[in-house]
Amino acid sequence: MHELSICQSMLRVVDDAMRRQSGARLLRVFVDVGRGSTVEPQLLREAFAVLASGGPYAEAELVVNDIPLVGRCRSCGRSFEYREIALGCPDCGSVSVEIESGLELSVRELEIDD
Amino acid sequence: MAKVTVQERIQSENERVAAANRAAFAKARVLVLNLVSSPGSGKTTLLEGTLDRLPAAGIRSLVIEGDVSTDRDLERVRARGGEGVQINTGGGCHLSAQMVADALGRLDLRAADVVFIENVGNLICPSTYDLGEDAKVVLLSTAEGDDKPMKYPAVFHESSLAVLNKIDLLPHLPYDIAKVEREIAVLNPRCEVLRVSALKGDGMDLWLSWIAARLAAKRSK
Repeated sequence: MHELSICQSMLRVVDDAMRRQSGARLLRVFVDVGRGSTVEPQLLREAFAVLASGGPYAEAELVVNDIPLVGRCRSCGRSFEYREIALGCPDCGSVSVEIESGLELSVRELEIDD
Repeated sequence: MAKVTVQERIQSENERVAAANRAAFAKARVLVLNLVSSPGSGKTTLLEGTLDRLPAAGIRSLVIEGDVSTDRDLERVRARGGEGVQINTGGGCHLSAQMVADALGRLDLRAADVVFIENVGNLICPSTYDLGEDAKVVLLSTAEGDDKPMKYPAVFHESSLAVLNKIDLLPHLPYDIAKVEREIAVLNPRCEVLRVSALKGDGMDLWLSWIAARLAAKRSK
């Protein structure tokens, strides 16, 4: 349950970006959250509701882009999505797999009312 | 209405502080190991056994203890002749790079070859926080069950070494240690695995050798 501190870090990134948009009002925050990032989108949204309430972002919406965990087999080269944690490549069975995406945790963009 | 591109990692501030910690550790030529596990896996017991054996190997150490509350773990470290500092997170489920940076102000790194950071007992949150360590070491004890690597994949993906602790209990438990080792190898082929009983001493020589090898590798750079 580290979403509260992740959310605090996220708000610091948003603050930095908003300082360069003088007078603008924040409408939406778009974040990329990979399924392998250990951050649970629902808990992040709840943390945002708590931390933003009463402040300048109280009316803003947090939009989470949920990115699947995708591995690539080093043996046969095929990419596949981890639907559940499986033992290796679903095609050739090789256990030599690297993660292609799904570890993201970043603020992608903001939507503002200028 | 306008869109503003940000493209900034949420952990960028923690990563910046972790990089500064890493530079301070490199300058002091100390090896830093971040010990991660659920509560009760034996992190402090492993440290106690390590502190008993390190002097004979000619290796000096310091300990940064992370706990939600109390300095009980630091007391255990001191009872074995160890030295270090306690961080209390006051409810926080992990250490952050800034907490370690603050602790470094209270430590003389010149007095150490190895710094052990004992993270808050938690198998999930610490995996997201780089502290500036050279390696994460994950502990998993036999009493926790053999299904854990696949249930908590991130920490195994991040770790350089998995210490399978409490192997002295194997005769009493339905625990398939080969399955655990197989699953860790799938999650992270670069993660080494040691079978240890920190309490009884089994495998502690391998753990000490691993530390000595990592220290030598860092200092030869």
